[in-house]
Amino acid sequence: MNALPALVCVPLAGASIIWLTDRLPATRRSGPWAITLMTLTLELLLLLWASFQGTSHQGPWLNHFSIPWVPPLGIVFRLDMDGLSLSMLWLTILLSLACVLLTTRHIRDSSGTFHALLLATISGTVGTFLATDLFLFFFFWELMLVPVFFLLCGWGHENRYRAAIKFFLFTQGSGLLMLLSILGLVIINFQETGILTFDYFVLANTPLSPLLSMLLMLGFFIPFAVKLPVVPVHVWLPDTHTQAPTAGSVILAGILLKTGGYGMIRFNLMLFPEAVERFAPYATLLGLIGILYGAWLACAQSDIKRLIAYSSISHLGFVMLGIFSVSPVGLQGAIIQMLAHGLSTGGLFIIAGAIQDRLHTRDIVTIGGLWESMPRLSSVGLFFAIASLGIPGLGNFAGEFLVLFATWSVSPFIAILATGGLILASVYSLKLVNGVFLAPSSSRAEPVSDFHAGQMSILGILMTLLVILGLYPQPIMTFSLPSPATITTSNSGKNAS
Amino acid sequence: MIINGIFLPFPLFVLSVGTMLLLASVTLHRSSRLSFSLGLLTLVLATVMTYYPAPIMPLAATQTLFFADTWANYTAALILLSASCIFILSWQDVTQRSARSADEYALLLLLGALGATAMVFSVNYMPFFLGVEILSIALIGLVTFRSRHTQKGLEAAMKYLILSGVSSAILLFGIGLSYSVTGSLVFEFSTAGHETGTGIAAAASIMVLSGIFFKLSAVPFHMWILDVMEGASVPIAGFIAVVPKIGIFSALVRYFGSEPVTPFLHNTMSAIIILTILGGNLLALCQTSLIRLMACSSIAHVGYLLIAFYSPGHFQSDTMVLYLAAYTAATLGTFSIIQAFVSPEGLQRSTISDWKGLFFTHPFLAVAMTAMLLSLAGIPPTIGFFAKFEIAASGLEQRHYILLTALIVGSIIALYYYLNIIRLMTTPNTSLNIGQNKKTNLTIYSTVFILTLIVFVGGIFPSFFMNSIHPALPSTRAEYLQSHIPLP
Repeated sequence: MNALPALVCVPLAGASIIWLTDRLPATRRSGPWAITLMTLTLELLLLLWASFQGTSHQGPWLNHFSIPWVPPLGIVFRLDMDGLSLSMLWLTILLSLACVLLTTRHIRDSSGTFHALLLATISGTVGTFLATDLFLFFFFWELMLVPVFFLLCGWGHENRYRAAIKFFLFTQGSGLLMLLSILGLVIINFQETGILTFDYFVLANTPLSPLLSMLLMLGFFIPFAVKLPVVPVHVWLPDTHTQAPTAGSVILAGILLKTGGYGMIRFNLMLFPEAVERFAPYATLLGLIGILYGAWLACAQSDIKRLIAYSSISHLGFVMLGIFSVSPVGLQGAIIQMLAHGLSTGGLFIIAGAIQDRLHTRDIVTIGGLWESMPRLSSVGLFFAIASLGIPGLGNFAGEFLVLFATWSVSPFIAILATGGLILASVYSLKLVNGVFLAPSSSRAEPVSDFHAGQMSILGILMTLLVILGLYPQPIMTFSLPSPATITTSNSGKNAS
Repeated sequence: MIINGIFLPFPLFVLSVGTMLLLASVTLHRSSRLSFSLGLLTLVLATVMTYYPAPIMPLAATQTLFFADTWANYTAALILLSASCIFILSWQDVTQRSARSADEYALLLLLGALGATAMVFSVNYMPFFLGVEILSIALIGLVTFRSRHTQKGLEAAMKYLILSGVSSAILLFGIGLSYSVTGSLVFEFSTAGHETGTGIAAAASIMVLSGIFFKLSAVPFHMWILDVMEGASVPIAGFIAVVPKIGIFSALVRYFGSEPVTPFLHNTMSAIIILTILGGNLLALCQTSLIRLMACSSIAHVGYLLIAFYSPGHFQSDTMVLYLAAYTAATLGTFSIIQAFVSPEGLQRSTISDWKGLFFTHPFLAVAMTAMLLSLAGIPPTIGFFAKFEIAASGLEQRHYILLTALIVGSIIALYYYLNIIRLMTTPNTSLNIGQNKKTNLTIYSTVFILTLIVFVGGIFPSFFMNSIHPALPSTRAEYLQSHIPLP
C-alpha cells in the first residue's frame, strides 16, 4: 500500500463526488464545502501517514510508486517523494485547509463547481510536486492551470476575463518551451541509448554538450520563471492575483507560485547542474531585479491585493537568488523562503479577502483604520505584514538571511543591493499596516464583524508555523533538501522491474 | 490492362453496392427515412469491413488500382465513422425540416464518403482522381442543399464549384505531366526525371501537390474553405472540416510513402507548413462566426499534421494516427454542439457572442464544448494534448526547429481564441436556446457524449490509439507486388 497515488487521486475523487452531488436537487448549500473539507482532512491524514511511514527502500528518497502508463512512448506514472516534495506537500495541504475553512464557505453561486475546481487544482499541484516522470510532470503542470482559469473566470472580480486569459496564455505558452526541452532530452537519450523513457533518474545521466544542456536548461527555466515569477515575465501575476477570488489568490500565491521554485530546484538544478552554474550570474541578476522592482512597485500600490502581489514578486526574487547561488546554504534559504512566503502571503491574502468581503473595497485609503472595529483581524494582519517585512524571529527572516548569506559568498555587491529590497519591504509593509490597520478609523455606516475564535485559531496555526520556521528552522532546513537525482538510478531500475 | 488489376477493398465494395442500392430504392420509392437508414447501414457495414484484412490477390504490378494496408484501413474507418456521425447529426434536421423528401442528401453524403474512401485506398492516379472528383461533386450538392433556407448556400456552392474545378484541373494536368515523364500512373512521388533537369518532373510534382494542398486547404490555397463552410449547413460544414481532409491527407502520405521528402521540396514544404499554421491561426483571431473560426482552426490543424507528415522517424506513424483521431473527434464534437443550437427554422446560432452563458443554461453542452476546445488547443487531460505532444516529438526528432517555433507561436495564438469562447461561455448573461424537439436532442446529446468520452479517454489512455499503423512504404508495396509478378 502506497500513499503517493492516493495523495494525487483523493482530491480528484473529492472533486468528482462534489460534481455528482451537485447534480442532486436536495443538496444543502454548504454540502460541497463540507465534502471539500473532508477530502482535505483525508488528504492530511494520508500525508501524515506518508511522512511517518518510513522509507521502504534505501537511498534518500522517501517513497516511490510507479506503474506503466503509455507503454509505446515509455511513459510511466511514476511518483517519488523526498524531503523537498514532502515539505511542499505540507505547505499545500495546510494552506488549502486554512483557505477552505476561512474563505470558501460563503461562496454563493455554484458553490459545487467552485469547490470541485479548487480540489482539482490541489490535485494537479500535488501531482506536480511528486511526479518524477518528466511527461507526467508536464501533464500535471498543464493540468493545474485549467481549473485555475475557470476559478478566475467564474468567481473573479471586475476585470477577471482579461486576467484569466493573460494568466493562461503566459503559463501555458511558456509551458510549451518546457515540452520541447523535455522532448529534446528524451530524444537525445533515445538516440544515445535506444531506450525511449521519460524517467527523471535515467535522463539525469544523459550526456549533453554544453550548448545543448544550456538550451534545454533554458527551456525548463523559462516556464518556471514565468510561474515564480521573475521580472520580465511577471506581468500576468499582479492582474491575476488581484482579480482572483480570495481562495484563488491564496492558492495561487501560496502554492502555485511554489511550483516554479520547486521546478527550478528539481529540474534545472538537478538535471543540468553544470549549465546552471554557467547561467547563475544572469539568473542572480534577474532575481535581484525582481527583488528591487517588485518591492518598488509594491510601494506605489493603493490596492491591497495588488500590493501583496507585487511584494510576492520581490520575495520570490530571494528564492531565485538562493537557488542560483548554487550552494547548499542558498538552497536551504530558498526553500525556507518559499515555505515562509507561502504562509505569510497566503495569510495576507486571506486577510485581504476578509476585508474585501466586509467592506467591498480593496483600496487602502477607503478602508482606513480597522483596528478599532476589528482588532483581531487587524492584529493577525499586522503579524503577517511584519512577517513579510522580514522581522527576525519569523520564517521570512530566516529564509532571506540564509539567501543573503549565500549570495554574499558569491558576490557581496549583489547581496548588498538585495538588502535594499528588505528596506523597501519595510516601506510597503508599513504602508499597508499604517493605511489599513493603524490609520484613524473612517466613519462607516454598517457595523462589521471581526474574526471569531475558530477563524483566529486557524490563522493561529499558520502564525505558529511561521514562528517555528523563524526560531528553529534547522530541522526543516536539513530535512527539506532535495535528494539528488543520480543516487537512486541503480535503485530505481530495481523498483521498476 | 487495368482490368487485370481490379480489386476492390471490402469497404469500397460495400460502399459502392450501398450507393447503387440507395439509387435503386430512390427510383422505386422516395422516402427520406428509408434512404437515411440505408445510407447509415451501408456506412456501418463498410466500417466493420475495414477490420477485415484485405485478401491477397495476384495483381499486375503497376496496374493495381487499390491497395489496402493498415493505414488505409485506419483512415477509411475514421472517414466512415465521421460520415456516420454526420448522418446522425443531419438526420432530424433534413428528414423533418425540409418540406420535400431528402433522398439526395443521403445519397450525396454516401457518395462523399465513397469518394474519400476511394482516395484512401488508391495507389493509382486514376482512382485517386476519381475519388477526388466524386467527393467534390457530392460536396457541391450538399452545400447547395441549404439554399432552401438561405442564399448563402448557393453562393458557397458556386465558389466551391469554380475553385475546386480549377484545382482539379491543375491536379489533372500534373498527373498528365507526371505520366509523360515516368510513363506510369502509379500514385507515388517519383524521383525519376528530376536529374535530367527538364523541369517537367518538378512541374508535375508541384502541380499534383498544389491540387492536394488545395483540397487540404493549406495556406496559399485556403481561400475557399471559410466561405464554403459558412455557407453550408452545420453538419455539412463538419463534413467538410473532417472527411475530405482525412482522405486527402491519407493519400498525401501514401504519395510520398513515409520516406523523407525529396530535397527540392524542402523549402516549399517548410514554407507551406509555416504559412498554414500561422495563417490559419491569425485568420481565426478576427472571426466572429464560430463556423468560420472552426474553418480557420481546421486550416491550422492541417499545418500541425503536415509537420508530422514532414518528419519521418520513430514517432511519425503514431503521431499521424493519434492526431487524425484527436482532430476528428474534437472537430465533430464541436460541430455536433453547434448543431444542437440550430433553431427549428434552420437558423444557425454561430456568432461567437451568442454563446454567452452556456455554462448556466446548458452545463452539459458547455462542459463538452470546453473539452472539445481544450482538445483542439492541446491541453490535458484531452486527447489533443497527446496529439500535440507527439507532433512536437516527431518534429524535434528531425530537428525542424523553425517548424516547431511556428507550432508554438501558432498554439499560443490558438489558445487565445479557443479560451475566448470558453470565457464567453462563463459570462452570466445568455441568449442561446436549444431549438429542437426532444428526440433530436437525445440523438445529438448522445453523439456529443460519445465524442466527449473519446476525447477524455483518449487523453488519459492514449495508448489505445497507438498501435503503430504504418502506411506501407512504396518500397514494401513494390516488394509485396513483386512477389507476385515482376515489374515490367
